Amino acid sequence: MQTFVYERPTTLAEAVALLDTHGSDARVLAGGTDLVIRLRDGSARPAIVIDVKRIPEMCPTIRERDGIVTIGATTVMTDLAANETVRRHFGALAEAAAVVGSVQIRNRATVAGNICNASPAADTAPPLLVYGAVVVAAGPGGTRRIPMDDFFVRSGVTTLAPSELVVAIEIPVPVGRTRAAHVRRTRRRGHDLASVTLCCSVDEKGLTRLAYGSVGPRPVLVTDESGVLADPAAPDEAKAAIFERMFAGASPSKRSMRAGPEYRLAMLRVLGSRAVRAAIERLAESRQVEA
Amino acid sequence: MEDGLSIQFTVNGRSHTLKVAVHHTLLDVLRDDLGLTGTKECCLVGECGACTVMVNGRIVDSCLMLAVEADGTEIRTVEGLASDRRLSPLQQAFLDRGAVQCGFCTPGQLMAAHALLSANSHPNLGDVQEGLAGNLCRCGCYLQIADAVLSVAEGEVR
Amino acid sequence: MSTSFIGASPNRVGGIGRVSGLQQYVADIRIPDVLEAKLVTLDCARARIISIDTSAAMQVPGVRLVMTAADLPQPMPRFGPQLEDRPVIAVGETKFHGDPVAIVAAETKDAAAEGARRVRVEYEELPAVFTVAAALDPAAPLVQDPSLRPKSPLATTNVLGEHRVGWGDVDAARADLVVENSYSFPMVTHFAIEPHAFMAAPDGDGIAVWSSIQHPNWLQRIMAKLLGLPLSKVRVYAPDPGGGFGGKQHTKYEPLVAFAALKAGRPVRLILTLEETFQAVRRAACEVRVRTGLNSDGKLVFQDIKADYLIGAYTDIADRVVGKGSYPAAGPYNVPAVRIFARSILSHTVPSTAFRGFGNPQVNWAVESNLDEGARALGMDRLEIRLRNLARKGDAFIPFDTPADGEWDQAVRRAAELIGWEKPLPPGRGRGIAVGIKSGPTTGLSYSTVRLLSDGSVVVFAGTSDMGQGARTVLAQIAAEELGAPLDAIAVVMGDTAIVPYDQQTSASRSTVLMGNSVLMACRSIQSQIRAMAARLHGVDEADITVERGVVKLPDRELAIIDVLKPGLGRLGGELTGNGESRKEAEPDHPLSGAPAFFEFNCTAVEAEVDEGTGDITVVRHVTVSDVGKALNPLQVRMQDEGAAIQGLGHTLMEHYIFDESGRIRNLGAIDYRIPTSMDLPLELHSDTIENGDGPGPYGSKGMSEGALLCVAAAVGAAVRDATGVAIRDLPLTPERVWRALQERAVSAADGRRQP
Repeated sequence: MQTFVYERPTTLAEAVALLDTHGSDARVLAGGTDLVIRLRDGSARPAIVIDVKRIPEMCPTIRERDGIVTIGATTVMTDLAANETVRRHFGALAEAAAVVGSVQIRNRATVAGNICNASPAADTAPPLLVYGAVVVAAGPGGTRRIPMDDFFVRSGVTTLAPSELVVAIEIPVPVGRTRAAHVRRTRRRGHDLASVTLCCSVDEKGLTRLAYGSVGPRPVLVTDESGVLADPAAPDEAKAAIFERMFAGASPSKRSMRAGPEYRLAMLRVLGSRAVRAAIERLAESRQVEA
Repeated sequence: MEDGLSIQFTVNGRSHTLKVAVHHTLLDVLRDDLGLTGTKECCLVGECGACTVMVNGRIVDSCLMLAVEADGTEIRTVEGLASDRRLSPLQQAFLDRGAVQCGFCTPGQLMAAHALLSANSHPNLGDVQEGLAGNLCRCGCYLQIADAVLSVAEGEVR
Repeated sequence: MSTSFIGASPNRVGGIGRVSGLQQYVADIRIPDVLEAKLVTLDCARARIISIDTSAAMQVPGVRLVMTAADLPQPMPRFGPQLEDRPVIAVGETKFHGDPVAIVAAETKDAAAEGARRVRVEYEELPAVFTVAAALDPAAPLVQDPSLRPKSPLATTNVLGEHRVGWGDVDAARADLVVENSYSFPMVTHFAIEPHAFMAAPDGDGIAVWSSIQHPNWLQRIMAKLLGLPLSKVRVYAPDPGGGFGGKQHTKYEPLVAFAALKAGRPVRLILTLEETFQAVRRAACEVRVRTGLNSDGKLVFQDIKADYLIGAYTDIADRVVGKGSYPAAGPYNVPAVRIFARSILSHTVPSTAFRGFGNPQVNWAVESNLDEGARALGMDRLEIRLRNLARKGDAFIPFDTPADGEWDQAVRRAAELIGWEKPLPPGRGRGIAVGIKSGPTTGLSYSTVRLLSDGSVVVFAGTSDMGQGARTVLAQIAAEELGAPLDAIAVVMGDTAIVPYDQQTSASRSTVLMGNSVLMACRSIQSQIRAMAARLHGVDEADITVERGVVKLPDRELAIIDVLKPGLGRLGGELTGNGESRKEAEPDHPLSGAPAFFEFNCTAVEAEVDEGTGDITVVRHVTVSDVGKALNPLQVRMQDEGAAIQGLGHTLMEHYIFDESGRIRNLGAIDYRIPTSMDLPLELHSDTIENGDGPGPYGSKGMSEGALLCVAAAVGAAVRDATGVAIRDLPLTPERVWRALQERAVSAADGRRQP
């Protein structure tokens, strides 16, 4: 790979200033599991690489306070998947983090990197969307909060300004009982990029939130407020109709090597119904546990 | 060298201070600068695990880590598993259980297994297969590798 | 006496180096003054090279040499194990995606990479053929200039070779049932975890070459010819390869690296990236049309097989693969009439080469799957149909050739027993069973030298390549057994043509038999020297002394070899040396140039479950039984068979090259070319062996290690058919392909009846 200037700022202000100065000539380095590959194959040729792992505001801690769980940007998948708070409140996010690559990858890949890389197939994206996560971004003008659904634009592109950094991800602890499941399609059981990645939550009021990725330029969030999907007794045809509406926006790539468009669209429906069923079962189990 | 950065890290218990090119990976530096060729180069995209080393107690694909990121860390490679020129129980188990064929993936498998056992001293077969899923073996030694790791966990090493 | 080494599973000789990380593969070897090299390739399948401007590359600090076709001898030297058609570097035209046009050598890898980036190639992309149909089209561009095959009537086509094998009269044969189907086998690559690595250095008036090569002496011969050097001045170092599987058998970029080293006057090292290995070696893809004639009693009447193998742009060993692989395509059965017509078809793709199974897996997939269909159509049990037709030991199942050399039905019955063939199947599951056969080596020559040192320790010199299959260990076991030395007192020296005697090659599962017999012979020579010593020392007639398995038996007592050796050598010490030679001469009239020394026979049975929603196949149980004569090291045998089974699951379930419309490979590298991980194993994998001591190798052994790969696909395909009612005829059986087939089943209900 070609060389670059390596900066390792120790304050957020320093990092933001570097981004502000260098703009698109700079790339942010967190876990490196996407960036180093691009540096090597030449698809990224930054003049400056900014290593953000020593910045306290971005450090890999997970805190719960006042009904919000804050996940530091450089939290790695291994820790996200193992964290008690995440497992308790956002089980599907822990599930998704646990299948990103191999142990070696998960020990380095960060949740912020996953969303900033903005691959449509990012596995943490569907759960983050379903759980209503909010991205905390810091830039020269200060800090702002971006709802997850407003964060993704298309493959490799987010609504972050060129001199903004993701500092943390905040997820509101669900009010009321809700359970979710994450499922994905891969070409083998071993670690793989997903050809479809999907997360679905149902809550006691019958609200279903479903997000899917790798079937279009960005992950998509859809909801069903009718209560039909969340109802275990509702007939399959009724659910199928809702899935049709939900997946109408899916536009799988015709050129993908991982899976063809027809298969992906079909798997959306298969995975969607499996994820809904799993979420419903988990919700039912959680009621029994308390009863 | 010009445009290098000075870093300090500990490899297999020994401290090193050296100047590294910023665009060189930890894998490059271990093999080429320190002459520790036990860690292998294969896919260079973090898929095969042949380059697996431990950094601060966790396994990583060293091909995806810039050497400069390893500044201030403690690194363990396959060369650091044996002590006083005696093979570790895990290395011995690999030999005893036939977990080695061509040997090229072996250093990475050993590091992943070492990390697994350090975190979980009683893994089951599923834990082992998942813990080592990031280490490809084209010779197909997977069952023997799992057998070796489980034998160490169960204290069966001769 | 102590227990035998034969049939024991001592730890791998060479294992310590592998677990300690101290073993030196080619890429680990540092020699002073070495230049690092990088290949320059074009991002297209085929191109006319208009010009190459190396000036910018030469200006990169640290770049010492940029070589193109213009810098090599004119006319361009060519090489190849079968046909000398491969240029040392592309000249005038690149013929496949990855065909190098230049090599850059520099002081550092960074400089070489930068230099390679700056080589300016002006080229015109040309239409490429990369399918059988495209290559055979009369309007297709010729992959190879006809002048390279002046004596061949096929030179004006893209057909390199045609192979016909047959007996009986297929057209006149009357069968109650004829099943005809077409099958395809994908292009797959070896993906050894060690990428190919090559290094060359001027060595006095000769040259030293390091390579991850499986055939060091063959490489030596090719290098000597290309460089105009005597063999004695070409030294090939062949460290144990990190996996070969056939992809490291034949010369690839060693000549290019050698020319670069000689031009630079310094050592030059080239280590391929994984992507470059996908562009260097692969298996031949194949399209097979099978017509199987059966009678209602399940007996095979005829097999009519047409196999079109898509090979690459250069011959390498591909035509041999086609000829040898298709030869036993009718299977290990007694078939009255057979017609096999196999072709090797050139294409603008990576040159295909040897790969475990050597052309057999492709036809096996088709022929065994077709037999499965035939059994179903007859309403006959698919195990029974195989047993009914299987050749018995001694049957000339390929007329005038090596007869069936094993009790093959034992392997079939054992596999059936292990899979529980007779047991009821849980719902949603299916079972498949298939047999595979491969011809062993048809010619061979392995020399070895064994030295018995004065303290009873032993050095074995053997030119076999130990790429993980455990040749070192087995040869050490033989020497330990014959000479009564403990295993850790045996050193096995391989991989240096200057000091190790000639070995033709490491391939075709031959080494236990050929090199093993050679080592055995060398040990026997030492034993006879010991006998003479004992006779002299004890005043006994040689005829009254036997030496076997480390024990000297005199009329009145037994002695260990060391107790004769020490007094026998006397005060001056010294050593005894024995030489062995294992030779299998060519038979020029034989279609394969020789009858196989043995057959590898395997039966694989699989129980599988299909997730009909997603198309995922779960191999619940996978059983593989090989007929090995004698397992000299049972653990190593099991490892080879399990490894072969897992590798077979790769091409069965997930492996394939993906091309774009112009013939460029899209899925280079590990992210989009999937091979089995530890999570992709069958839920249960059992291997077993049949050992009747009926092989031609030491102690009744046969060669093994390819058998368990041969019929994996057919067994899995049959299990999928059994579970879902759908027969899929193209590999790999990816979830998407299975799903699509299930959708089509839903549409045409007539095909969808499941077997009871």
